Amino acid sequence: MTDAPDLELIGVTKRFGTFTAVREVSLVVERGQFLCLLGPSGCGKTTTLRMIAGLETADAGEIRIAGVRVNETPPWQRDIAMMFQDFALFPHMTIARQVGFGLEMLRRPADDIRRRVADALVAFEITALADRKPDTLSGGQKQRAALARALIVEPRVLLLDEPIGSLDYNLREAVMLELRDVQRRLGISFIWVTHDQNEAFSLGDRVVVMNHASIEQVGAPEDIAERPRTRFVAAFVQGTNVFDGIVAGVEGDHVRVRTPTGDFLVSAAHVGPPAARAPVSFSVRAALLSAQPGREHVNQVAAVCRAVEYLGAIRRYDFRLGDGHSLKLEEFTGRGRRLAEGEAVTLGWRIEDGVLHAPGEAPA
Amino acid sequence: MIPWRTRQRLVRAALGTITVLFLAYQWLPMLTMALLSFTDPEGGTTFPMRGVSLHWYRELLRVQMVDDFKPPMARSLALAGACSITTAALALAAAQAMRGRLRGSGAYFYLILLGAMAPGLLVGFGVALLARVFGFGLAWYTSTFAVHIVWTLPFGFLTMLAVFNRFDRRLEEAALTLRATRWTAFWRITFPLVLPGVIGAALFGFTLSYDEFARSLFATGPEQTLPLVIYAQFDRQLQPTLYAIGTLTTAVSLGAVALFATLLRLVRRRTLTSDQPSKKESQP
Amino acid sequence: MSTLRERSPAGYALAAPAGLWMLGALVVPTIFIAWVSLWAARGFTLASPLTLANYAKFFTRPAYVRVLGDTVQQALVMMLITGVIGYSIAYFLVVHVRHPGLQLAVFLLLVVPFWTSALIRTIGWIPFLGVNGVINQVLLLTGIVDRPVEAFLFSRTGITLSQVSFYTLLATGPVVYTLRNIPPSLPEAAQCLRATPLRVFWRIVFPLTLPGVMIGQILVFLNVMADFATAQAIGGHKHAFLGNLVILLYESGQLAFAAVVAVLLMIAMLLGVAVLLKVVDIRRLGES
Repeated sequence: MTDAPDLELIGVTKRFGTFTAVREVSLVVERGQFLCLLGPSGCGKTTTLRMIAGLETADAGEIRIAGVRVNETPPWQRDIAMMFQDFALFPHMTIARQVGFGLEMLRRPADDIRRRVADALVAFEITALADRKPDTLSGGQKQRAALARALIVEPRVLLLDEPIGSLDYNLREAVMLELRDVQRRLGISFIWVTHDQNEAFSLGDRVVVMNHASIEQVGAPEDIAERPRTRFVAAFVQGTNVFDGIVAGVEGDHVRVRTPTGDFLVSAAHVGPPAARAPVSFSVRAALLSAQPGREHVNQVAAVCRAVEYLGAIRRYDFRLGDGHSLKLEEFTGRGRRLAEGEAVTLGWRIEDGVLHAPGEAPA
Repeated sequence: MIPWRTRQRLVRAALGTITVLFLAYQWLPMLTMALLSFTDPEGGTTFPMRGVSLHWYRELLRVQMVDDFKPPMARSLALAGACSITTAALALAAAQAMRGRLRGSGAYFYLILLGAMAPGLLVGFGVALLARVFGFGLAWYTSTFAVHIVWTLPFGFLTMLAVFNRFDRRLEEAALTLRATRWTAFWRITFPLVLPGVIGAALFGFTLSYDEFARSLFATGPEQTLPLVIYAQFDRQLQPTLYAIGTLTTAVSLGAVALFATLLRLVRRRTLTSDQPSKKESQP
Repeated sequence: MSTLRERSPAGYALAAPAGLWMLGALVVPTIFIAWVSLWAARGFTLASPLTLANYAKFFTRPAYVRVLGDTVQQALVMMLITGVIGYSIAYFLVVHVRHPGLQLAVFLLLVVPFWTSALIRTIGWIPFLGVNGVINQVLLLTGIVDRPVEAFLFSRTGITLSQVSFYTLLATGPVVYTLRNIPPSLPEAAQCLRATPLRVFWRIVFPLTLPGVMIGQILVFLNVMADFATAQAIGGHKHAFLGNLVILLYESGQLAFAAVVAVLLMIAMLLGVAVLLKVVDIRRLGES
């Protein structure tokens, strides 16, 4: 049993009346992984998390924690703990009492609880807050108290529902790194739900991108950013340009895609040949576009510079194409001349820089 | 060990049963009274009903020396109307004053609230004593009116406070930066938006006054209000006319509530929605 | 900044009418009652000397002291009954009724009677409780008793039965309010911390609703203490609470003594509220 994955979801479905919130979601989380569920509101990520916790029951499929099926097990018997966006600290209890709450429920002996609470308070640097009530704590302190409370019961999996969403912007970075450290040290799996791509990509070993109740793609952050599987993922990930068109022909390994601003060649290697004249989309990373295209940049298009953003080491341009389509380009500040607003250029990229998407969701 | 889901369902069923039984418990007397008021002329004040008729309602309409219900009803309605307007006005003023963070607002708040906590009996009694000693007469349009407001005002006040609490004072600030005077800003911006609260306060003023009897018991002069006349019947032989007037006056109370509720909805709709037909936004 | 300048005279002017009204029609009469209760003279003059003898007289009459005891006892009984039923209804309404339309409907059904006359609702109970009343007829029909129970009308039981239907709403309302204010994440967090539903209720939900419970108890207490109509309508002349006593004494012309009973009623009510508020404080301290 100890070798079993921390969490397995097998074809899990959840419906609310006629609305399907989660559709046939399958996932395996090996031991000690940091997994992020990423997606826009309403995509089903929170519902999935709640089903893992047992706060919602799955209508179909199986959920296994540490190899054991838990569909019928209530939350208080599952080997999990949960962190909520509003921290859910009990307002009528002192921090010491709260943190020890889980152990009280497990009926541990009183001195055992006292000792472990003291240890936890020290570990999370909130010993001074032991006798205070939650309403006097700052956001960061509440966060640590909630964490201490959750981890003291030694769960197999920690579930986190947008845990840093309500913190001040400056605090988030620090807290993210702290939580990352805790996860590494404890070696338990974290399932972190967020709509913020930056959070997910900096924290997760693996990221699950969800949309409309289904999983769009699972993978390491680099894989998702550089090889988005579907149009949705490409559009969701920042720093990626999406092109929509129809298949004009297949030329060996490459697909010719006809768009309103021209024909482009895209490698079809890992998606497979699409049907002729079918609607298709592909994406190109902003960092792979060039404003001084050379011979290797087979795909080229005329564009006008609309805006320039200076981001320290990186320059980001916003270009407008003939049909109004917007393209983003990122390059290192040192490289090349800085373009002016209104300047017309030709942008280019290599065939292998484009990623063809699996057929599916039509453009919005 | 019963599985937890079944236990949850059992608890739900048990609590639900208590709720339903209680609702029946609360409504049955009124419904029974309404039903019995339609008993035929031979019918007594309890079951079985021997027939259905409007006899007892007709009895109400007849002018009788002793048990005339019409003038008291008229007085009660007039009094309720006056209380309605007065409560709304005073509550609005008092709640607006509270926003000014005056010295002693805390004590003021409790002073107003005291009216709801002081038992009607004692308030009326005190007023009656004062009248006796200082020799001024008690009448339904003076002393009774005064003690009715003492009772209705706290409810109207709380309603207005709640509405003002939810009111965004930045709307007023915006108006002031657009060259409106405080007076104008209040009447053009604040008042239309808190109007539902004002109507609520007026509703409290009307129904609470119309149904009031404990305070009125002592504080009313020879010309009685309707609840007092009904109260006086307790000592007499119980007749279905009592049920008839009871049902009738309940109908008036509920009718008033319905009226105010409709008014509320109309006001809301007119103030907040545009004149165009409602459009359905399609979600992206 | 708003339509009212802070601490402006306009503010005081707006506050004045309501304030003066309450002072004149509530505070002054109440103080006057207290003053009258201390009058020694038999007659009704302002020049009367003051004495506490009237109070002493009250406590030397066992019948009157019994009325005081009965009133307090009735209040306590009602607090218990309405507390339990009220909490059950509130919990069911907020936690178990999911559909918002249904919640509203049940809520309206509970609250609408409040908009009708308490007097009428009291009258409505009479055909229920009598020897030929509905309750007895149901009991006879179902065979639970073979003779009509006389103990309903003109009895404490009858008074209690009818008061339950009037005052439970007072216990339900504040609990509904406090229950609604508990963020749903709190019981969920407790569940994820190994707490079974029962423990979630006792350790998390119930303590957080205590203020609502207390307010409800206070409201019920105040209302039952001052209630006289139910005793008179249902209890006939066999039962009297402090309120009835005041009326009785007033009608027989013993104004000073009536004032004494009124003052005692007020003191009992204030003491009760003070005690109840203390209980909540102690609870707050206890939950460390």
